[in-house]
Amino acid sequence: MKTPAANLGSLTYAWLALVGLTLLSLGIGQWFHGAVWLPLLVAAIVWIKGTVVARGFIEAQFAHPFIARVLAGFIAFTPVALVLTAFFGSQFARWATL
Amino acid sequence: MTATALPALELPPALASKGRIPGNKGIWVGICCEFVEFLVLFVVYFVARAHFPESFEAGAERLSRVAGTVITLLMVTSSFFIACSVATMRAGQRRRSIGWLIAGLVVALGYPVAKYLEISWNLAHGINGESGIFFTVYYYLTFNHLVHAVWGILGILWVLARHLAGGYTTEDYSGLESLASYWHATDIIWLVIFPFFYVLN
Repeated sequence: MKTPAANLGSLTYAWLALVGLTLLSLGIGQWFHGAVWLPLLVAAIVWIKGTVVARGFIEAQFAHPFIARVLAGFIAFTPVALVLTAFFGSQFARWATL
Repeated sequence: MTATALPALELPPALASKGRIPGNKGIWVGICCEFVEFLVLFVVYFVARAHFPESFEAGAERLSRVAGTVITLLMVTSSFFIACSVATMRAGQRRRSIGWLIAGLVVALGYPVAKYLEISWNLAHGINGESGIFFTVYYYLTFNHLVHAVWGILGILWVLARHLAGGYTTEDYSGLESLASYWHATDIIWLVIFPFFYVLN
């Protein structure tokens, strides 16, 4: 019985993007060591990689809205927290002190 | 590899408006719990980082970036292979689907091996859980992730056994897709953890 072929091309592109972004983030960490805006770049890469997995592998764009929102919220949390900690770290530390 | 569309993504109009559940509802309850658990741990990370920024800047320099990178590549590659397993099963290619799942399992097994080698390297360099706040958080978060990954590996073994026994069809492969969803979620969590300890300095 002839069966439809699976489109593995888009999955391969997603995987290549994840590998490329992983290596890029390592390079960025080395090249811009100590730069104030390094967390901004890292936050952007974390968000892009999470979104690539959610959309490319889990197919969040076709998922129930609740699942799509859970994924989007979880993936957005760390980039936002990274930026806030980088620029408002001392205020956050004061606020989070027992 | 061909460019034919994935069959299951052509949703009926009634489903298209609500969206589909990748896998089954039960696994998404589990994934939500997993996300909540790690969100709490991430908050701990950010509170510690805000209080001890110097420790966190210096700590990343002492860890093995090679180990972190290898684990990341193992996670994204096994995730890719398991996504291919779902896509080929959806297209009715059972044998190829099993092949991709076995490939995903083999690559996933590299994670605990890489973690063991990393811990050995750490201990040889005098890095343990009492080496400072950065390393306490590092061990706590990465060991927790390893535990979740081991659950995932056990899940892959179970799904592989069912797959070999003919448990999935083109119409019903929700067990396979549930496992894939869990593994992808665990992958996303690692992609967040990776820069915490190996990139930011």
